[in-house]
Amino acid sequence: MMQGNIWISPNTVGFAQSMTLLLRFQLQSSFGRAMFAPKDSPEHPNSNSQFRGLKIVLADDDDVNRMVTKKLLEKLGCQVTAVSSGFECLSALSSSENSSRLILLDLQMPDMDGFEVATRIRKFRSRNWPLIIALTASAEDNVWERCLHVGMNGVIRKPVLLQGIADELRRVLHLAGESL
Amino acid sequence: MDGVAQLRRQFAEYTNSLFQEGILNQQFNQLQQLQDESNPNFVFEVVSLFFQDSERLLNELAIVLIQENINFRKVDAHVHQLKGSSSSIGANRVQDACIAFKRYCEAQNIEGCLKCLQQVKTEYFLVKNKLEAFFKMEQQLSAASQSGSK
Repeated sequence: MMQGNIWISPNTVGFAQSMTLLLRFQLQSSFGRAMFAPKDSPEHPNSNSQFRGLKIVLADDDDVNRMVTKKLLEKLGCQVTAVSSGFECLSALSSSENSSRLILLDLQMPDMDGFEVATRIRKFRSRNWPLIIALTASAEDNVWERCLHVGMNGVIRKPVLLQGIADELRRVLHLAGESL
Repeated sequence: MDGVAQLRRQFAEYTNSLFQEGILNQQFNQLQQLQDESNPNFVFEVVSLFFQDSERLLNELAIVLIQENINFRKVDAHVHQLKGSSSSIGANRVQDACIAFKRYCEAQNIEGCLKCLQQVKTEYFLVKNKLEAFFKMEQQLSAASQSGSK
């Protein structure tokens, strides 16, 4: 199915000395496809295998929201670095060991709000990387447009629900997988 | 074991009443579902943080609102934060009171803001008392079930 192969190299005594498993993966698009793998059974809607190991920076100035959102992401299998301001978010991204693929950014933060953080990231880093998803309690229609305008990739409405967060992560990752 | 069964029933009834009275909503259920072995006190920790933050914000609001020139942007920011954290834990009535508060704030209606602050405080202390009782019952239940299983 995956055009792979598997073979065992025996040593002189006949015991297996090494085993090779060759699997072919398509870059990027296979990731997107895994995201769209059949939904988990209804008894386990929160299976945390889907986003296993996905590195995320979460920026939200509110302690309670940050704690809840971090836990939701961890339930989904993500590795989360949580910060409480726009400045901390930028410095977390610039640290050398950080290889986050995705940022979850609260739009309404004091000093430097989500729009400004996103603008700076897009100005000084790549257009497509990392992916940025806004978190907002705002019900205004133009929020999505404003987010797109500064180069964000998605929006999650607060209060954050597990299903809502999983759906938006999946959508954004899928789109990125197709276009990159 | 009868005692444990009774406690369990009382706890379930009490929890139910919190939802019936609109004090909590399904967001609180989500918090409970997020709690697991890796973090067995998650709900308690989040709610404690909510108490701390709310009391700080309520105090700051009371200070800002008695000043001569009220900084309504500051009021709005505090109310917005309280609205966000209350909605995160499912403190429904606090959240609703915050929504009304924000409207008066936008209209820069001082009297309305002061009334809303009272309302938010009332709802906050209500949910605080209810949640404290909730955790106490939960603790009693877990202690009783443990001693029952020995």
